[in-house]
Amino acid sequence: MTFGALLRLVKLSVRRDVRGALSSVFGVSIGIAALVFFVALGLGIGRVVREKVFPLDAQLVEVVPSQITLGSILGGGKIDQDTFERLRALPGVTAAYRKMNVRVPAVSRYDGDFFGTRLHMGLEVLAVGVDPELVKNDVLMGDFKDPAEGQPVPAIVASRLVDIYNNSFAPNRGLPRLSASLAAGFQFPVEFNRSFVVATRPGPVTAATLQLVGASDRGILAGLTIPLDTAVRLNKASGVDFETFSGVTLQADGPSRVPELVAHVKEMGLKVDEQERRWAENAGAAVLLTTGALALLSLLICLLAAVNIAHALSASVRVRAKELGIMRAVGASKRDVRALIFAEAAVLGAVGGAVGAALAIAASYGLDALALSHLPQFPFKPDTFFFIPPWLPLAGVGLGVLASLAGAWWPSRDAAGIDPARTLAG
Amino acid sequence: MISARGLRRSFSDGEGGALTVLDSADLEVAAGELVAVMGRSGSGKSTLLHILGGLDSQYQGDVNVAGVSLRGLSDTALSRFRNGTVGFVFQSFHLVPGLNALENVALPSFFGASGGDARAALERVGLSHKASRQPSQLSGGERQRVAIARALYARPKVLFCDEPTGNLDAATGAEIIALFESLNAEGLTVLAVTHEERVSRAAKRVLRLESGKLVPA
Repeated sequence: MTFGALLRLVKLSVRRDVRGALSSVFGVSIGIAALVFFVALGLGIGRVVREKVFPLDAQLVEVVPSQITLGSILGGGKIDQDTFERLRALPGVTAAYRKMNVRVPAVSRYDGDFFGTRLHMGLEVLAVGVDPELVKNDVLMGDFKDPAEGQPVPAIVASRLVDIYNNSFAPNRGLPRLSASLAAGFQFPVEFNRSFVVATRPGPVTAATLQLVGASDRGILAGLTIPLDTAVRLNKASGVDFETFSGVTLQADGPSRVPELVAHVKEMGLKVDEQERRWAENAGAAVLLTTGALALLSLLICLLAAVNIAHALSASVRVRAKELGIMRAVGASKRDVRALIFAEAAVLGAVGGAVGAALAIAASYGLDALALSHLPQFPFKPDTFFFIPPWLPLAGVGLGVLASLAGAWWPSRDAAGIDPARTLAG
Repeated sequence: MISARGLRRSFSDGEGGALTVLDSADLEVAAGELVAVMGRSGSGKSTLLHILGGLDSQYQGDVNVAGVSLRGLSDTALSRFRNGTVGFVFQSFHLVPGLNALENVALPSFFGASGGDARAALERVGLSHKASRQPSQLSGGERQRVAIARALYARPKVLFCDEPTGNLDAATGAEIIALFESLNAEGLTVLAVTHEERVSRAAKRVLRLESGKLVPA
C-alpha cells in the first residue's frame, strides 16, 4: 500500500469517528503532558542545584592536607611549595591554584551607610587567600593582588552568599538587595587577630580595609576570598604558619581525567575534598528520584492511554469489519490491514503527543509566571523552574506514538485476522 | 479460464461435527463464458465463489484461475491475485462509506493496482456524472453499478458475482444483468452465483450446486 493511500484511509477513519479519535488523543496528551512537565521540572530543578546551589566545575579537584596519614607522621601530608609543584606537575593538570586560610580570627565592625541604609554591625570574618588566577574572570574592579600599604585589600564573596543575603537576610533586616556589580567598591574595616568568640594569638592586631571587587562561584561560601599574598602577609605578621597551604585547586584537562588525577593525589598522601561534590550528588540523586517517581506515574498514565486506544481501535475494527473485508477482497493483504490500524494509532499518538508536549510547555510557562508573582523570594530562587531541551517535546511525541502503537497491537491482529469470505457473505 | 478439481470444503456445525458444503466439486469455465451457478440457500454457492476468487483458502482440491494456481499461495500473493486478476460484485454492494463514488472505484489502486482508470470505469457503468457522490447519496442500483465499476477498475480477467441482483428491484436488476451481458460480450469471463432465474436466463451456461457437487441444470 502506498503512503498516500495509507494517509487517505487514516484520514477517512479519523473523520468518521471524530469523537473516538478525540478521546484517544486526549488520553495520550494527558500522559505525555504529565511526563514532559515532570521531566522538565526535574531537569530545571537539577540545573538549579548544579548551577546555583552547588556550582561545581567538573574539571576542578580540591586537594587538602590529609589529617591523619602515615605521611604526616613522617613529615608529609602538608602542602608546602614543593608539594604544590609536584601537584602541578601531575599528568593531566592544566593549572593549579594555591589556597591559604588566614589562620588568625578576624572581626568586622561597621557603623555607617550601607547603600542608602544605616548599618551597624559586628561579625566574625573568615578569609582565605587564593592565587589571583583562580578568580580573575570574576574580578570587576582593580587588580586582585596584595595592595600597597594603606590601600584596601580586594575581596571576593561567593555568588551563593550574595544569593542567600539577597533572598533571606536582606528582606528580613530591611536591607537593600545587591548584585555583584552594585556591591563592588564597598569598603569595610576588618581587624585580624581579634575575635568576639575565640581566643586570639599572642601577635599584634592588624587593622585593614577590605573592598569588595566581585562575586565568584570559586570563592569560599562562608567568608571572603582575598589574594594569596595578603593571606601570607597577615599570617606572617600574626606569627602563625605562612608557608603551608590550606589547599590546592587543580584543573584537569577534562572531566574524564579527574579520576586518574584523584588517584595520583591520594598516592601522594593527600586528600581530595569531595564534600561539596557529595552534597551535589546527593541533592542530584534526590531530584532524580523524585523526578523518576513522577515520570513513572506519567508513564502509567501513558499506559492507560494505550489501553484506551486499544479499546477504541478494537471497537473500531469490529464496526468496520465489512469495510476491512472489502479492502481484503480488492487486494489488501493482512500486512496492509495491520499497517492501516498501526497508522491510525500512530497518527492519534503523534497528535496526542504533540498536544501533550504543547500543554506541558504552556503549563511550565504559566507556573513560572505564577512563581514569579506569587512565591516569596528565597535563596537560589530561579527565574524558571523548568528546563525544556529540544529533545524533550520530541521524545514526548515519540512516546505518544509508541504508546499508541502498543495499544494498536491486538486490534491490528484482530483486523488482519478478519475473514473476508465470512464478513462479506450475504 | 477457470478450472477447479475435487473441491471440498467443510465448516464446523457448532456441535462438534462438520458440515460439508462442497464435496469433490469440479468446474471448468472457458474464457469469455457467462456462467451461472444456482442452488438453494446454504448450498455452498458463495463458498465456491470465495474459493475461486482467492478469498477462502481453507479447502481441498485444485483451483486455477486465469493461469494462476491458487493452491499454497501466500497471503500476499493471493492479495495480488484479487487485486489485479479478478473482480468481485456482492449482493450488498459493500461500498466504503466516506469515500465518494470515484474513490470507491479506485479502491484497488490503494493496494497496488495500477493502470486503471476510475473515471472510465464509472463511465462504462453510466455513472460518470455521479463521481463525487457519497454511497449514501446513491440508489441501490447506482451503488451496485459503482461496485461493478470497482470490480472492473483493474481490468480483471474474471468477474465473480455473488447474488448481484439480490437487493435490487426487478427493473434495476434487469439493468444490472444487461450490464453483465454487455461486459461478457466484450470478452470478460463472468461467473455469477444466484438463486434468481432472471440471472440464469442471461447465462450461456447454467450449473446447479447439489449435495456439494456441480451438475448441469
